[in-house]
Amino acid sequence: MTPLFDREHGFTRKVDYQNNSNQVIIRQSWDAAAQRVEAIRQQVLAGELSPVAYYMEKHLMEVPMLAAYMELPKWRVKRHMKPSVFRRLRPELLARYAGIFEVGVDQLVSTDELNQQ
Amino acid sequence: MVKLDFEHRQAGHCESGVTSNLLHYHKFDISEPMAFGIGAGLFFSYLPFLKMQHAPTTSFRVWPGMVFERAAKELGITAESHRFRNPKAAMDKLNEILDKGLPVGLQVGTFHLPFFPPEYRMHYNMHNMVVYGYDGDTYFISDTLMENKVEISYADLMRVRYAKGAFAPQGKMYFPTHVPREIDIRPSIIKGIRKTANNMIGIPVPIVGVKGIRYLSRAMRKWEKKLGPEKASYYLGQVLRMEEEVGTAGAGFRFIYGAFLNEAAQVLNQDWLKDISYEMGENANRWREFSYKGSRNCKKRGKPEESYDFLADLLLACADSEYKIFKKLATIRG
Repeated sequence: MTPLFDREHGFTRKVDYQNNSNQVIIRQSWDAAAQRVEAIRQQVLAGELSPVAYYMEKHLMEVPMLAAYMELPKWRVKRHMKPSVFRRLRPELLARYAGIFEVGVDQLVSTDELNQQ
Repeated sequence: MVKLDFEHRQAGHCESGVTSNLLHYHKFDISEPMAFGIGAGLFFSYLPFLKMQHAPTTSFRVWPGMVFERAAKELGITAESHRFRNPKAAMDKLNEILDKGLPVGLQVGTFHLPFFPPEYRMHYNMHNMVVYGYDGDTYFISDTLMENKVEISYADLMRVRYAKGAFAPQGKMYFPTHVPREIDIRPSIIKGIRKTANNMIGIPVPIVGVKGIRYLSRAMRKWEKKLGPEKASYYLGQVLRMEEEVGTAGAGFRFIYGAFLNEAAQVLNQDWLKDISYEMGENANRWREFSYKGSRNCKKRGKPEESYDFLADLLLACADSEYKIFKKLATIRG
């Protein structure tokens, strides 16, 4: 570990942000995210959750944020995580979800892509 | 098409960097640490109830926008700041101001920033950058985190200005409109120091300032037992990851503040501030030690390399030295 400061150099040195511990904790965050995504992928394939839950997690979002992007109340977004509700979703809402997740509507409703991984 | 002659300079902290660069354009030179100090940017808060990425939030600086606003106010600079409900209106206003020949500071979310390295693309809404021109659908950007100037498309810019989630920018834009030719920065420095001292030791709330550091230290001791080793390590990682200063746990902010005190000692001709600036520098080292040793616990799942009690003690040492520093700084006179 190199100290940031010593009295001899004062504050003239540049702070090195790209250090080793930096890489470690960034890695940790992405690993944890990947783990969450994988857990939810399994649940979606098992029919417990809708693809909305999968793509939300994949985009590192949480319900309040997704609801803000969708301009819907949180409870409705939460309900859309249910496969039974998701299946009956209006095309207009599906298109909005697809836009936010940057996928086509076909891709959003099918679980093919989830199966392939 | 507008392309202003804006000098791009990298900085340690986006908002003070933006403030310093914007003022530099208006022919008023203050360093990044000076902007940070006068804007009273240093802070600490631990918000266990506000979860980001499934872990509590820690913050090492004041709320977004405060540094620029305070610095402008204290220095007697006329500035405007706007938020818009309608994204289209936000973009129109941006063009209008650029057409007038003024560079504009923007608050943006980083998740969809195309020029950001992919590993940094998290939902972080308190980033700041400067727009200094546009050509059709291309906007010219100076981002203090990047080595060079960059460009962004109209659609992408609108998107990052309307990122959602905690601290959503809501299209926030700010810019100085008139900068007086002669500015005496001395009273602003003193006010800035007093404000920071008050923020750090004068607020009777347990989760902010030096008390907040102690609170976090206490909470940390219980993490492993309460959450299990994996989640404890994730929570710890979150403390180190927070804010634009990934990986330094605020050490960089402490370093910048030390540099500010050092400069202030010269400008105010008060030698005792120099000693305190050194203490602040050593305090920054202690924070770095905390982040360096802490990051070892985030390497692999399972057994931590350092005990959480040890890390909590390091935090307490940081809290103690900051308490001493700000107790002295609170007595500053002109």
